[in-house]
Order: sequence, then C-alpha cells, then structure tokens
Amino acid sequence: MTQALDTFMNKVISVITGDGRNIVGMMKGFDQTVNLILEDSHERVYSTQAGIEQVPLGLYIIRGDNVALIGELDEDIDKRLDFANIKAEPLGPIWVL
Amino acid sequence: MVLPLSLLRTAQNHPMLVELKNGETYNGHLVSCDSWMNIHLRDAICTSRDGDRFQKMPEVYVRGSTIKYLRIPDEVVEMVKDEVKEVRRQQKDNTRAKKNFQRGAGGNVGGPPRGGGAPRGGRGGQRGRK
Repeated sequence: MTQALDTFMNKVISVITGDGRNIVGMMKGFDQTVNLILEDSHERVYSTQAGIEQVPLGLYIIRGDNVALIGELDEDIDKRLDFANIKAEPLGPIWVL
Repeated sequence: MVLPLSLLRTAQNHPMLVELKNGETYNGHLVSCDSWMNIHLRDAICTSRDGDRFQKMPEVYVRGSTIKYLRIPDEVVEMVKDEVKEVRRQQKDNTRAKKNFQRGAGGNVGGPPRGGGAPRGGRGGQRGRK
C-alpha cells in the first residue's frame, strides 16, 4: 500500500501532522510505517494576526504515527504566493494522543 | 531512496533534536538506535512542552513509539548512501568468509577447494603442501 508514496519521491510535499502543524520539504524517503524523510524542510505557521511565517527546519524524520496527510506541492503556484499577506486560522490538533 | 531508519543509523554520533508526542524535546548526541526507532542519547538537554523548563541529562533512552519527529544535521543525508554501501560490502564479505570457512571445515565435497583445474595427485595441487 505504501508504494503509493513512491509518486512523492524527490518532490516537494506538504505534510499535516497529528498535532496540526504544516511541514513542507523535499521527500527523500519513507518506509512501511509512513515514517518520512524531509530535506530542506520548513514549517508554515498560520495566524490571523500576521502573514504566514516560514520557520526553517532542515533535515527531518517524521514518525509515521504523527502523519495525518501528505500532499504534493505545486511549486509554480507556491512560488507565486505572497505568504507575508496571507492570514489564516491555525489548524489545531488533528487528534489527541 | 533512503529509508528513515537507515538515515537515523547514519546519524549516530551526531547531535539531534527529538520531539516526543507529549511535546517535550531532547537535544543530545545519538549513541545508538534500533529498528523500532528506540534511541539512546548522550548529554541531552530536556525542554518542557512550554519551553520554560530545562534539565541536563547525561544519558537518555527514548522508546521509539513516543517520538513525534527527529531533527538531524543536514549533512547526514549525504553520508547515508556511502554508509549503506559500506554495510552491504561488509555483509558480502561476511557471507564470502562464511562460505570459505564451511568449505575449509570438511565441507569440501567433490574435489579440491580451490584451483580446481590442477591434476590430482600431481605436484601442483594444493594438498600435500604445507
């Protein structure tokens, strides 16, 4: 089943974690428990008061337990976004552990 | 493709940050890890969920299932491919050594173990020499 993740290999993906964070980075690997390797990753922090803040994180291993959603990012569209002027409600936890 | 647990193994002796599911973070040097992501850290600093309390811990063992994510130095991802290659090479050497050992230890069915082309009983054979 997890072979489906092959389509995301070496692409920039957006991950929503169980605690409601949004982490964006290049997917360098995964395994059968959906542990992920993200390279050059950053977190996008949403707020209704200020624009989207991008916090650099670097090389990350996210444990599969903590992965709620994975999506491929359209880099062309993403480059055109004006993050400083996008305000949004933070997501909040997807589940409680 | 790199497997997350191979990357973790390569990160041994490097500094790393581990966030647990309860929000605590541990900054320390990875001593060892296993295939369940259980990890052994040395000289760790534990930061509370709110980031307001810190404590030094000379030795920490973390159960893999309590981990949310790990932050690893960027250069480790470049080292992992060489490490995987090295491990494969060692495994190959090991199996080869084992095979040779088995042959040497009475497993030599059907002719001399090496240099098979040599005529039997001749002077050029491997046997009878020492």
